[in-house]
Amino acid sequence: MRSYAFERPGTVTDAVRRAGSGSAFLAGGTTLVDLMKLEVMTPDRVLDINRLPLRGLDTTGGGLRIGALERMSDVAADPRVRRAYPVLGQALDLSASGQLRTMASIGGNLLQRTRCGYFRDVSTPCNKRLPGSGCPAIGGENRTHAVLGASGSCAATHPSDLAVALVALDAKVRLQGREGARTVDLRDFYLLPGDTPHLEHDLRPGELVTEVVVPALPWARRSTYVKIRDRRSFEFALSSAAVAVRLDGDTIVEARVAVGGMGTRPWRLTAVERALVGRRATEETYVAAAATAVEGTRPLRHNAYKPELMKRTLVRALLELEQTR
Amino acid sequence: MTTSPIGRIGRETDRVDGPLKAAGGARYAADHQPEGLLHAHLVQATVGRGSVRRVDVSRAEAAPGVVAVFTPFRPLPLNPPSPQQSGENYSALQDTAVRFRGQVIGLVVADTPERARDAAALVSADYAVTPSRTSLADGSPGVAQGVVQKLADGVPSIDAALAASPVTVTTSVSQHAQHHIAMEPHATTAVWVDDHLTVYTGAQAPQRAAATIAARLGVDPAKVRVLCRYTGGGFGQRSPVWNEALLCAAAARALGRPVKVVLSREQVFTAIGHRGAVRQTIRLGADTDGRLLALSHESDGELPAAGGWQMMPGRDTSAVMYRTPNIRIDQRLVTLDTPPTWSMRAPAEAPGMFALETAMDELSVRTGVDPVELRLRNHATEDPVEGRPFSSKHLEECYRVGAERFGWSGRRARPRSRTDGDWLVGTGMASAIYPAWRQSATARVRFGDDGRVTVSSATSDLGTGSFTVLAVVGADELGVPVGSVDAEVGDSALPPGGVGAYGSSVTTSTVPAVQAACRAAVEALVRAAVENPRSPFAGLDPAAVRYRRGRVEARGRSVDFRTLLHAMGVPLVEAVGATDPNTTSPYRFHCFGAHFCEVRVHRLTGEPRVARFTSVFDVGRVVNAKAARSQLRGSIIWGVGHALLEADPIEPDGRFAAATMADYLVPVHADTPEIDVHWLDHPDPHISEFGARGLGEIGLVSVAAAIGNAVFDATGTRVHDLPITLDKLL
Amino acid sequence: MTQHEGITRRGLLGMVGTAAAAATVPLGGGSAAAQPDTGEVTVRMTVNGTATSLTADPRVTLLDAVRERLGLTGTKKGCDRGQCGACTVHVDGRRVVSCLTLLATLDGASVTTIEGLADGDRPHPLQRAFVDQDGLQCGFCTPGQIMSAAAVIAEGRARTDDEIREQMSGNICRCSAYPGILAAIRQARTEMR
Repeated sequence: MRSYAFERPGTVTDAVRRAGSGSAFLAGGTTLVDLMKLEVMTPDRVLDINRLPLRGLDTTGGGLRIGALERMSDVAADPRVRRAYPVLGQALDLSASGQLRTMASIGGNLLQRTRCGYFRDVSTPCNKRLPGSGCPAIGGENRTHAVLGASGSCAATHPSDLAVALVALDAKVRLQGREGARTVDLRDFYLLPGDTPHLEHDLRPGELVTEVVVPALPWARRSTYVKIRDRRSFEFALSSAAVAVRLDGDTIVEARVAVGGMGTRPWRLTAVERALVGRRATEETYVAAAATAVEGTRPLRHNAYKPELMKRTLVRALLELEQTR
Repeated sequence: MTTSPIGRIGRETDRVDGPLKAAGGARYAADHQPEGLLHAHLVQATVGRGSVRRVDVSRAEAAPGVVAVFTPFRPLPLNPPSPQQSGENYSALQDTAVRFRGQVIGLVVADTPERARDAAALVSADYAVTPSRTSLADGSPGVAQGVVQKLADGVPSIDAALAASPVTVTTSVSQHAQHHIAMEPHATTAVWVDDHLTVYTGAQAPQRAAATIAARLGVDPAKVRVLCRYTGGGFGQRSPVWNEALLCAAAARALGRPVKVVLSREQVFTAIGHRGAVRQTIRLGADTDGRLLALSHESDGELPAAGGWQMMPGRDTSAVMYRTPNIRIDQRLVTLDTPPTWSMRAPAEAPGMFALETAMDELSVRTGVDPVELRLRNHATEDPVEGRPFSSKHLEECYRVGAERFGWSGRRARPRSRTDGDWLVGTGMASAIYPAWRQSATARVRFGDDGRVTVSSATSDLGTGSFTVLAVVGADELGVPVGSVDAEVGDSALPPGGVGAYGSSVTTSTVPAVQAACRAAVEALVRAAVENPRSPFAGLDPAAVRYRRGRVEARGRSVDFRTLLHAMGVPLVEAVGATDPNTTSPYRFHCFGAHFCEVRVHRLTGEPRVARFTSVFDVGRVVNAKAARSQLRGSIIWGVGHALLEADPIEPDGRFAAATMADYLVPVHADTPEIDVHWLDHPDPHISEFGARGLGEIGLVSVAAAIGNAVFDATGTRVHDLPITLDKLL
Repeated sequence: MTQHEGITRRGLLGMVGTAAAAATVPLGGGSAAAQPDTGEVTVRMTVNGTATSLTADPRVTLLDAVRERLGLTGTKKGCDRGQCGACTVHVDGRRVVSCLTLLATLDGASVTTIEGLADGDRPHPLQRAFVDQDGLQCGFCTPGQIMSAAAVIAEGRARTDDEIREQMSGNICRCSAYPGILAAIRQARTEMR
């Protein structure tokens, strides 16, 4: 770990004022401390924001506002979340481990870095860690890598389960910078790697995630998150699906679908949503709709199974949702 | 023994080291903090093969708190390893050669662990790189090491025997490198006082470790002591001494201060040996009733150029398991530029029996003979190569009891025919075998004037329950409560002749020694009682004095040993017992078992999940039912990892692709199925008077095959390349 | 660099200052703000019920602080990456992996390690249950298992076997004593009610 100065800003304004190139905000620490030990992240200043007033869950006026410093386990356990947005609670419950969920913040979860083994190993090249150094994953061990959104520079998946659920729900993030606050759709917040995989977010220097805003979506009470992995727990997704469906009788009238473990960012599948709407909620419908999900996938040597797994994960999620009817 | 009034043998006894471990008070190698301690961190090569041209230590040396940086250009003197010993064939820092990616090329010593770690990251090296040989497939077939062959009269070759068989099955399987992942990362704390060295390091064989360290450092073996009272798992990984411990001791000597090295988890993957990758082909020839006519087992195992453990997966599996007139075992090794290999729990037997028992399942499918029935038809009462009888074999009873406990009968052998909701359900079984091994052993038993008995042996308890075995056997033999017995292991300074804790041999070997030591100690106590003038029994004929349940008795007088020792003014009476195996025995000694399991595979997403396991073992006498059950269940969970999770592919440049605990997946709690383990009560009369054959590894053997066979039953897909992951079942 | 105030627990005192060179401890500053001249951070917290003040480099984790500075070696370093759970402790009653917790963030916090779980000489029900049910073998992961289990029970997340298995999956036991661990949690859950 490289040495750094440790500071504890007293207010959000102070935090943002102090932040800049070379600084890092510290919340739960489960990403930052880990990556600082590996020397993947080497900030010269660490700004401990844990005592800033970015807490609380608010459901007034419909929707859900989550303070960026709320901890994953607390949000997952909140009855309002579980009732109104089961997909969020499930995505959080299926993340990491009990201890890490207790520690990790919602804002930090959305900003966590990829689990690509080359990114995390400073003895190998990585365009995301060291721009221009190359990508060993594309021709190397890439069983867990992305089949959507990858470029010739990077095929690393985004690891967050929560972000997949939030993208399905059209969530937004509130950002506070020196020039003021702004709100960004989470879908647009994550950048495709292109030839600049080190740029991951629409986040200006020093900007701080202060809040996650989930719009009101009453029919998200029927939503679910399915996560597929080799180990039964404590593992990142090989594949995951966040789905919500509104039915009129047996007919699907609205749908939200996003997948994880497939893309370089949480991947919303509007084509699948369109293919579901207006059709009867049957396995045949799901299979046909899921087939559209694989358009544009580009498998690598060891992850050719992923498009098929994505389809099946979607069908499974939609079927499991049916059982909650 | 079993007739003793205390009678703890075979019953449920709490682990004697349990309370201290549960309190967090057990001290492991890294928990020792002697005065003046320095901390060291390894630097490892980042290329796969070649040589170090230059090491830049300037930034590290200038970093705060750094005391020294050692490299091949500023080495710590170490002697080369003995050519007789298997394992790594070089000493770190003694030359500039890079033999594999991850080889130790530096050691940074500083005043705190963080400063040592952070300064190590500032060391940079220039290399001359040569291409690495890392592909087992490309290097196969390797060099034949151990060919075992027996052909029936008139049969010219195994190929001819197979060709003449009405039914043949060819099964080729493979597995990647695997890692032990003992929870305690390797750590060493070395303290010199004058010219005496004390080394705190997890060692499966403390006395062998002390001798190795002495030889490599060029010091008098009598002046080196290895202490490892508590060790956080071994599984084979802690049987040799690795470079980390040698460099630590050498650095402490060079700097004149105690030094501690704690490997990072990632470093353990490469600086410490792994189970080598292996590819195997089984060919079975049988008649249409499934009776074996020929068996061929070929293997190509990884053998690092830097040295390591040789993978011989047919020798103790296919060469002994089933009756067959024609057999050929061809074990080959492929030299690769990979980190050292080392023995890992059921080192050759787990892969070997995965191959054989997968092939047997395919033979069952081909012939339509039920898997249990197929194995009964091929049951061997003597080993098929040498024709030697087994010392004690009740495998048929394992099949029968296991099938009954599991509910095997009435199984329909039709793949993909059972579902439960969206889950495909299948069942599978396999036979297990593991060699029993008795070594020469010593133990010491001491009566103390505090009223306690101490049973000691220079072996090691890696979580294997040896402390409790010593206490239970000592208590049983002496007729005292287990609670009044202290057990001592993990100290090379105990009487010479302690056994290494490997090969499932500690109980088998040490129990007879403990019994002998108990008898000798009783004899010594009685002798003291009649010879010591202050003893109430002074001057009596020893034959008239008897020892019973902690008391010395004669002429109607009965005195407990504590009172007796006080009366005599003697702090303790002790004796050493040493026992040897019968090396002229005509028997083959093996443990046996039968596994049955149910697996579920999701019909859409394909993930295999083990639902329940029933295993029955024939392991001779069991000392402590509680620890035995725990160890057998743990082995079965290891098998779940072997079957479904554990693989570390090696990349063309020699980099392990999954060298972290997030990438190399071992089973977590949620992966645990319902497990029913049972053992038969058949003490082995030929291995020792006591009759224990050991059970540390047999539980893992063939678990992967049973699971794979159940996956086939559930899905109709046979996965030959481990691990069985969902992408292979879509 | 380290200092204890009023430590009574045996085993703590002996280790103070052995891992780091002795230095003056600023007792006046209660803030964890950086001290520009040294870069070190002073943290005042309660460890196992004892008020403790530590001044250290801001890179020091809670794990390294309790092990190397306070001599509380019951908390184990199994991976140092949050991937194994051996270092689990409670911070303000919540289970965390101490390897990813920076000491500098803990000013004012209350930390409980395995050494602080027992009630004096009386072991915690989980400590007894782990022995009764043989929920351990090598014992290296055991402190972390017990600390996790205590929190899981307190959180009310130990209602069913499957829930225990899932909630305890952040604590890897390579000896795979999981069935015994499950039984121990069931046993202690009843006693702790």
